[in-house]
Amino acid sequence: MSTATTTRATRSDAIRAIAVRDFTAVRRSKGVLLPMLIVPFLLLVVLPLGVGVAARAAHPPDVSSMLRALPGGLARPILTLPPRERLVVLVDGYLVAPLFLIVPLMLAAVLAADAFAGEKERKTLESLLHQPVPDRDLFFAKLLGAFIPAVAISWVGFACFALVVDVTAWPVAHHLIVPTRLWAVVIFWVAPAVAALGLGVMVRISARASSTQEANQLGGAVILPLIFLAVGQSTGLLLVTMPVAIAIGAVVWLVAVILVVRGAQRFTRDRMARTI
Amino acid sequence: MVPAVRTDDLTVSFGPEKALDGLSFEVDAGEVVALLGPNGAGKTTTVRLLNGLLMPDRGSSSVLGFDPATDGDAVRERTGVMTEQSGLDDRLTALENVAFMARMRGLSPSAANDQAHNLLSRFGIANRANDRVQGFSTGQRKRVALARALLHEPEILFLDEPTAGLDPEATRDVLDLLASLAAEHGRTVLLCTHFLGEAGRLCQRMAVLHRGRLRAFGRPDDLAKSIWRGVPVELDLGAPADERTLAAIRQRRGVLTATATPTGARVEIEERGALPPLVATLVQMEVPVFGAVPRPPTVEEIYFAIQEGAE
Repeated sequence: MSTATTTRATRSDAIRAIAVRDFTAVRRSKGVLLPMLIVPFLLLVVLPLGVGVAARAAHPPDVSSMLRALPGGLARPILTLPPRERLVVLVDGYLVAPLFLIVPLMLAAVLAADAFAGEKERKTLESLLHQPVPDRDLFFAKLLGAFIPAVAISWVGFACFALVVDVTAWPVAHHLIVPTRLWAVVIFWVAPAVAALGLGVMVRISARASSTQEANQLGGAVILPLIFLAVGQSTGLLLVTMPVAIAIGAVVWLVAVILVVRGAQRFTRDRMARTI
Repeated sequence: MVPAVRTDDLTVSFGPEKALDGLSFEVDAGEVVALLGPNGAGKTTTVRLLNGLLMPDRGSSSVLGFDPATDGDAVRERTGVMTEQSGLDDRLTALENVAFMARMRGLSPSAANDQAHNLLSRFGIANRANDRVQGFSTGQRKRVALARALLHEPEILFLDEPTAGLDPEATRDVLDLLASLAAEHGRTVLLCTHFLGEAGRLCQRMAVLHRGRLRAFGRPDDLAKSIWRGVPVELDLGAPADERTLAAIRQRRGVLTATATPTGARVEIEERGALPPLVATLVQMEVPVFGAVPRPPTVEEIYFAIQEGAE
């Protein structure tokens, strides 16, 4: 009948096949793709564009009163800058950093919901479970299929953000605003940790949810701590400086690894098959 | 000979409900066996247990010598499954859906694509290979799902409701396809269905499940013998048999029962030899006899007799 015969798949073959399939399918799903792109677009393109335009206006917004509310360590260097530059440095250099973390978290959550609960909803889970792939590989394939795109899109988003910030702010600042050292820590250390945390949470939620929508609704709560972090940053209550960012990253990685490992232990064919 | 599939007291529960209760049967290599039963009888659960998706609460099973509970991947390497829902991702093309499974089973990307193309051509949907399956009819989806199940040339094929949701024409096409698949390479097939016609056409033996318990297992004629004492005969008399005719039939030696039908009478005789004297009696009575055919019970009649017994 057929000319080719299958051989025993290596673990990496199967993992790669599942991860690529998941990402291909997501790319073609407007319902999943649009929410994934709209938030990063607003946060990383529209917001810095607005800030850049405002800074270049004849009368830029005065942020002195806001800076006085911040701890001296942060406010002092910004207050030494020309008034037009203060807004750009304050918002794009500091305040957007914790908000940026919403991007990898949301992307990871949406992708994980689609990868786990979505399989049940589309009734494709059973045929996947009938394949000769060990439970652990199946789990990590699903995880990687969500983690890699979430981090990659976040990094591309940051590159866009940096471009918009620096192009719009150049006439005002005459130097690059981002990346800063804080941003580097956020991008390469905290953002992947937050994505892993989102996955760890969503894996648990998706195991119980019967649809992507249900998983997303339940998983929405994971974004709340980041909102608090952003609010804390803007009010000076919690200032994300370099050491704080490194510490936050370490804690988030720890929690994420615990959640993922426990998720992997609970991910068995028997458990999944009973939810179909 | 080692059976291709063997179950022994296989039992599994979902919460307080026993989905399968003490299932024991054997399927020989190359045999086509139907698992019959209404929805909720335990057919799909049986396939999931045999392919190592579910762990039994009690009992054991063996597929090609491997225990699905402990050697699931070894079993799944040798089996192909067509699930009731087809399990295709609507966002992928037919080719991608098949090639994805080929990649999972160790083929290189180009070999996976070639293999997928070959199978889609064989099943008559090569012209839609690059279309997303979202717009496919149920029949086309079943064909793609069948291609996926067969791409690694499995020794055992588990087919779960392969014709569910198909129109009569598509049903016939899929059944023709299944008949040829079962015949080639002496492939063992376990067919879960509640369509009795396809079971009668394709299967050598049948297992009748009712609420998770095996009610009967064997060849249709053996099961019929265990249910009915004699040979059923349809008598075509051109009109329903009247009381006088029925009384005469019942008085004949070797006749067990006789009931009127719209075209004559249905008679149960002890053995075929009792039929010629019965026809002779009717002719003597000047009752017109247009036909007298010993008719073995259909799978449908056997199935319902078993299910009624189970109730």
